[in-house]
Amino acid sequence: MQRFLVSIAVTLIVMLPVLVSAQGTQPQSTLDRILREKKIRITAEVTSPPFGILDKDGQPDGSEIATARQLAKDLGVEVEFVQVTAPNRIPALLAGKADVAISSLSITLDRAKTVMFANPHGALSIVITAPADTNIRSAADLKGKRVGLTRATLEEATVPKVAPEGTNIVFFDDIAATIQALLSGQVDAAGMSAFAAKSISDRNPDKKLENKFTVTTAYYSAVVRPGDFELLQWINTWVFINTQNGVLADIYKKYTGVDLPPLPRL
Amino acid sequence: MNYVFHFGIVWDHWRDLADGAWLTVRLSAMAMVLGLGLSICTAYAKLSRVAPLRWLIGSYVEIIRNTPFLVQIFIIYFSLPALGLRLEANEAALVAMVVNFGAYGTEILRAGIEAVPKGQIEAARSLGLTRPQTFRFVILYPAVKVVFPALASQFILMMLGSSIVSAISAVELTAVTNSLQSTTFRAFEFYFVTTAIYLALALVFRAVLGGLYWFVFHRDRPA
Repeated sequence: MQRFLVSIAVTLIVMLPVLVSAQGTQPQSTLDRILREKKIRITAEVTSPPFGILDKDGQPDGSEIATARQLAKDLGVEVEFVQVTAPNRIPALLAGKADVAISSLSITLDRAKTVMFANPHGALSIVITAPADTNIRSAADLKGKRVGLTRATLEEATVPKVAPEGTNIVFFDDIAATIQALLSGQVDAAGMSAFAAKSISDRNPDKKLENKFTVTTAYYSAVVRPGDFELLQWINTWVFINTQNGVLADIYKKYTGVDLPPLPRL
Repeated sequence: MNYVFHFGIVWDHWRDLADGAWLTVRLSAMAMVLGLGLSICTAYAKLSRVAPLRWLIGSYVEIIRNTPFLVQIFIIYFSLPALGLRLEANEAALVAMVVNFGAYGTEILRAGIEAVPKGQIEAARSLGLTRPQTFRFVILYPAVKVVFPALASQFILMMLGSSIVSAISAVELTAVTNSLQSTTFRAFEFYFVTTAIYLALALVFRAVLGGLYWFVFHRDRPA
């Protein structure tokens, strides 16, 4: 009899956590969790000028970092930056290390299979950049040249499609390494955003880098995990408000020097 | 956990992974041979009576052993062109691996050389063998035999360290995996399979090195 009672008691105690959590197991949405914890984790790619850089004090800065700070401020929560390199932007989001990825992720159909894009808050173009005395006028001239690209970026998705047979494409793990390869002559040309190309040529006038041709243009936006619809809708609302009041345009102009083009909605 | 595994995607790209693994094997094998050769030369040079030579080799060993491999690779690939020496990614990777192994191999061999009984060396010298001959016939064989396990471990470490050369665009196994996972977003599946491939490669290399040991040191010697 005693044994029986003890075993009932043990069973109930073991089941207690299950019973308690079964009460309100509506899984809470990411937005709810962020509001409850008063903290949002956002990716920061700091080797991608001008979207993400480290300022002279070693703190993250750049147009996407400023955008992330504004978003957190408007949401009323603290922001925690998760440092990533280009190939880790989406994996960090999918693994739950970050709640939102705001790191100049261009809207592509391939990416849309695994993540959800918000309405765009910026635009960029991908160019091929090389020293002035390298003769490249169009994609056909890339034949026989070494072209550096960064993994998991828009240039990786688009440049190999336009480059002719016989182009030697080399891949690096982050934009800083691609830039280094171009500056040290290890590659003849590199693909990157026009803004990144401008910031490098400004900092290295002796290399006489110039944009040879534009490969593609794209809009970029914030990215969330599949299923986080509440968060996505809040971000879309936030983009709408801040497009109307000019805040996004100010941030964009401050870091890129260019006016924000009209932003379409998804 | 509501992640759906898609290992089939990894299988679709088996050819790319095989190409990457083949480059890893080629780089590692060449680096082992060249690295061992370098280690033997530098270990011999460290026994020299010429003090500046001993000092030079000692500095090389200390600098390489106390700096990160990744930084060494970056210097060879990105900084040397400024001095006029531009190496391709695979060449730079091989040079970096050989230079890196050489430093560790020198110290391992030095331990083996010190383990050779002094009586053997004295006997060799008194029989009229020159210093190079003594090194070659009396010292080297027992030294390598006694430190072979340590050398084999260092070889395997270097093969695994070859994954770092993906940072300078050498298209070995890790580089291929990084590219594939970044385009398919199947990070878990790809890294899991690549880990298994590295494990298999390490076991194969160990078996080959074990066979080599038997062939060189045990074959026609009893017990």
